[in-house]
Amino acid sequence: MSLTVALSKGKLLSGAEALFRKAGVPFPAGDTRRLVVETGGLRFLFVKDLDVPTYVEYGVADCGIAGRDVLLEAGSDVYEPLDLGFGRCRLVVARLRHARGTESASTVRVATKYPKLTAAYFLERGVSVEVVKLAGSVELAPVLGLADCIVDVVETGRTLAENGLEIEAEVADSSARLIVNRASYHARRQEVSRLIETLGRACA
Amino acid sequence: MNGLAHKLVQVPPGVQCFVGEEARRRRRIEEAVVRVFEGWDYEEIIPPLFDYADVFASETLAAKTYSFLGRDGSLLALRPDFTALLAKIAAGRLADRPTPMRLYYSGEVLRYEPPKAGRQSELYQMGLEHLGGPGPQADAEIVAIAAECLESLGVNGWVLALGHLGVFSGLLAGAALDPASLDRLRERVEAKDPAGVRQVMRTTGAPVAVVEALVSLTTLAGDREVLDRARQALAFSEPATRAVGELQEVVGALTAAGLGSHLAIDLGEVRGLDYYTGLVFRVFAPGLGFEVGGGGRYDGLLARFGRPLPAVGFMLGLDRVDLLLERQGRSLAVSAPRAEAARGGDLGATLRWARERRRAGSRVRFEADGRTP
Repeated sequence: MSLTVALSKGKLLSGAEALFRKAGVPFPAGDTRRLVVETGGLRFLFVKDLDVPTYVEYGVADCGIAGRDVLLEAGSDVYEPLDLGFGRCRLVVARLRHARGTESASTVRVATKYPKLTAAYFLERGVSVEVVKLAGSVELAPVLGLADCIVDVVETGRTLAENGLEIEAEVADSSARLIVNRASYHARRQEVSRLIETLGRACA
Repeated sequence: MNGLAHKLVQVPPGVQCFVGEEARRRRRIEEAVVRVFEGWDYEEIIPPLFDYADVFASETLAAKTYSFLGRDGSLLALRPDFTALLAKIAAGRLADRPTPMRLYYSGEVLRYEPPKAGRQSELYQMGLEHLGGPGPQADAEIVAIAAECLESLGVNGWVLALGHLGVFSGLLAGAALDPASLDRLRERVEAKDPAGVRQVMRTTGAPVAVVEALVSLTTLAGDREVLDRARQALAFSEPATRAVGELQEVVGALTAAGLGSHLAIDLGEVRGLDYYTGLVFRVFAPGLGFEVGGGGRYDGLLARFGRPLPAVGFMLGLDRVDLLLERQGRSLAVSAPRAEAARGGDLGATLRWARERRRAGSRVRFEADGRTP
């Protein structure tokens, strides 16, 4: 049986494709709507980015590519042997320019797509937090008064600036990671380590 | 689903119920494993379902323990694992027993799990503990018994991934890491994330050799030759080298006993650091994305109960074994034999006939209609 690789069709897809091509590993061609594609001895699953760690943790996929931001949020028990170097971004706390800093508030209301990570970040710092979970357009929340600040990923910071927000603190750096299921790592050792080595050489 | 079910038939999250075929399959698995335990001359122990909460005071399980107040105000807990209970019994009730003691158990543990797919609160564990025996011999014995369990269950392609916590703790001896950094380091080593390990260590001021050795733990996994590589990479650290040597001795014995092809080395396996002190191992097999069971050496635990003894043990999760065998198409399922029907209008006569058939060993279904002829 071929190794199964879980990928998301989100922002990491083009980076993943470029890396696989550079490494000489087959990659599904073109824009396909199929969710499972077999090519050149690998089986690819296309799932939602937040679900990639779940598929790999449960062993439905042997490997996958997921952003560190997603891994931090999912808290999945998987191996992360390679930092693939693309999809670099920062997870930050941002608030309206000229707004009061969150450090002076008794309870901070935070809008985010990353509820678990956000709650942990503030609670670890001794700040009570109320997390408002949103699915997108998080930058709007402080503008409309839904939240005091946001926790979100930024690449260039342009979206933040255009919505009148500025970075207050950095939560974590993120980039794409190769993740591997713990059982596959041992039970399918040879195929898995060959893939790690091939991709590792290509992103070095 | 049609209509509304009665309110009382709802089940709380995390509990399950096994019926007929499923229950029979689980019994068969338990029988197969217990037969192996008995075969290696282990003695069964049936510990209580609850005990004082202090007995179970393990860091990793604390958040998952169901505890409650007894009528006398003492804090009690439903057992979240067997090992602490067996250690307590070995140090108390069995204090006069000579060592080594070989004990096994089979039963449920209860753990609070947040409602998330695939996690049950009630888990069925089958395991054993070897208490007070010498190191490498007992380690090898335990791993060999685990191997025989998998053989006798008919599992395909199983792998025992062996590590030694003395490598990680040996490397850190002398590096005064604060608890938060240690936690993050352990988590990054466990994730086999070399970049992450480097990042955690950057601010600790640890010597370069130590940092590089910790980074190397993320890739020191594979065949036996990993141990030779480890000896070179970790040569500067006396305790780490000693740990690798211990592991090598056990692996050598298991290989000589014909188990070599089932062994994998994983020096980045650092789970259960608050508990395990030496050899650790996990059981993996194709078809299941997580371990079926595992174990290791925990030389510090019995001292908590006033009888310091070295100890090593392992357990298999029955639920996981069942799932694995099903996925591999190797379930031990047998359907129930056909029953003879005991029918008749005369209740007494039919019952007498049914009892006769039972004495003869038949499976009987009693279907007397009770109408006097």
